[in-house]
Amino acid sequence: MDEEYDVIILGTGLTECVLSGILAVEGKKVLHIDRNDFYGGECASLNLTQLYQRFRDGAAAPASLGRDRDYYIDLIPKFLMQDEGLINVLVYTDVLRYLEFVAIATSMVFCEGKIYKVPSTPSEGLTSPLVGFFQKNNARKFIEFLLNWKKDDPKTHQGLDLDRNTMKEVYDHFSFNEDTQEFIGHAMALHLDEKYKNRPAKETCGPATMYLRSAARALDRSAGSPYIYPQFGLGDLPQGFARLSAVYAGTFMLNTPVDEIVRDDSGKFVGVRSGDQTARAKQVIGDPSYFRDNVRKSGRVIRAICILDHAIPNTNADSAQIIMPQRQIGREHDIYITCLSHEQKVCPQGRWIASISTIAETTGEPKEEISAALKLVGAIEQIFVSVSDVYEPAASGVDDNVFVSRSYDATSHFETVYNDVKDIYKRVTGNDLTLQKRPVNAEQEA
Amino acid sequence: MEASTPAPAAPEITATFKILIVGDSGVGKSSILLRFTDDHFLPPEETSATIGVDFKVKMYDVDDQRYKLTIWDTAGQERFRTLTSSYYRGAQGVILVYDVSNRQSFESLDTWVDELNTYCSNEDVVKMIIGNKIDKEAERQVSRKEGSEYARKHQTLFLECSAKTKIGVQQAMGELVGKVIETPSLWRKSSPGKGTVYVNDSVPSGLAAGCAC
Repeated sequence: MDEEYDVIILGTGLTECVLSGILAVEGKKVLHIDRNDFYGGECASLNLTQLYQRFRDGAAAPASLGRDRDYYIDLIPKFLMQDEGLINVLVYTDVLRYLEFVAIATSMVFCEGKIYKVPSTPSEGLTSPLVGFFQKNNARKFIEFLLNWKKDDPKTHQGLDLDRNTMKEVYDHFSFNEDTQEFIGHAMALHLDEKYKNRPAKETCGPATMYLRSAARALDRSAGSPYIYPQFGLGDLPQGFARLSAVYAGTFMLNTPVDEIVRDDSGKFVGVRSGDQTARAKQVIGDPSYFRDNVRKSGRVIRAICILDHAIPNTNADSAQIIMPQRQIGREHDIYITCLSHEQKVCPQGRWIASISTIAETTGEPKEEISAALKLVGAIEQIFVSVSDVYEPAASGVDDNVFVSRSYDATSHFETVYNDVKDIYKRVTGNDLTLQKRPVNAEQEA
Repeated sequence: MEASTPAPAAPEITATFKILIVGDSGVGKSSILLRFTDDHFLPPEETSATIGVDFKVKMYDVDDQRYKLTIWDTAGQERFRTLTSSYYRGAQGVILVYDVSNRQSFESLDTWVDELNTYCSNEDVVKMIIGNKIDKEAERQVSRKEGSEYARKHQTLFLECSAKTKIGVQQAMGELVGKVIETPSLWRKSSPGKGTVYVNDSVPSGLAAGCAC
């Protein structure tokens, strides 16, 4: 590794691997290092041995759970929507060819002690018990408003300026009550708390439209939710981008400790030392765990991985997302539950993996905070609870050439990850990220 | 069994096989790939010409049936043993290459066999061990007998070849593909599962992600 590179990347989480792939395709000489002997960093998908190493001090997993290699357990539970930005990156870079996406069977929301399917089409909105009788017509009008909205056609704006009007004002425009607002803001736009209501309406109308468009496509193929998921776990996403980077001459080193971030007298980045070797580069990008002195804490996320021998009661599905809006459970932040099974090839037949996540509101027992979700999940065979600090970079990196990514937050989708990718790309290269179709190598398709 | 060049009117493809090439750096994996697919040999100083090549496609006809082979190179990730587990996934055939003039590359086969057994999703995956560079007979460090005994012990196919002089390359692929065809459990169920989603490249518009917001 005693060589000179354009950029050194530390950690093989999704953000780092996407940037690694994009920069390598653009011709940058990339060295990519991870201290772990597996890909994915904080967003890896682990087998049983790795899971027990991380959460149970290396104790052996009970034999009753089955074969180690049949498990791909996501450390960060998230689903993708067909219309989200990261999908475009997958398409343009052709990393899609390494993945096989499957549909998540159902998207549900918790309301007054029960779970209901989230309405995603005008007709579902009219029949859902979630939307009160007097709200149904307004809900239909709102969905039509979102789907017909065109930037350059003021006629479709109904007098609303989504950049200036708050979401509260949009709700008032459509005369929505608290219940309807809850399902739009939390179940469709996937906001974690109530702050969004006083923010510009586009921050809610955008994601809600993404949900509706993804749902419409799901309907086209008779899938029950707008969510999709890569078979064998989310860990295949960073691995796919790592492969892309390698195909474009990126060098990968796993199981390699990073002992020192070397800087010059003015504090500018010089290189990375591992043992007695130092790799030099103009810039370094990495996750917060490699730059403890350059990050600040912005919150804490509770995550609980549950191994079950049954599907989540009343979902009737091999896979599901359930949102528990904060108002329904007496919290300030929503709780998300994802459930996966053998159908997504993340565990053996007869097992289900439920993941619960939320932003920590107290410093007390995390299981207390998620008790409503634990109740919903039913009998649990094994549970792995963690509370992770969420970090953000303390500086932009423009001054010292050290670019730190954000920790994975509690959101249930990848928009914040993709925004971080775009943001870091801009700071590293000085340009906006414009996706270009990966050149098709003529010989390859011969 | 015979391989032929594609006929003008392309017949229907019976099946697509994913074939991997693994082995230590410098044993000639990319050269074998290039020799087989393009009948071409790159001198060592030009190997950077393979940058951007993910896999190569070769149509292969056997008994009036046409098979599409996608043959995947390691993209340099073998150097520090950082191949992704997804690289191995879904492979029907794997070629393990060593260099007959480099003892160390032969001794590394153990760890490559271990890695295959850990990551290949199908237990019936057809394995073939190839001793490359037999054009360097004077520098040979691994005898043919030693190679074939190792292969027998691990129940894999075995051949020696030279990507440089062409000897053995077509024959190796022919044997490997023949064995895959004879193992229906490897490919009869290779059609996508029930929930498979084809993510197409329609770009979000209007209010959707990355646009108005």
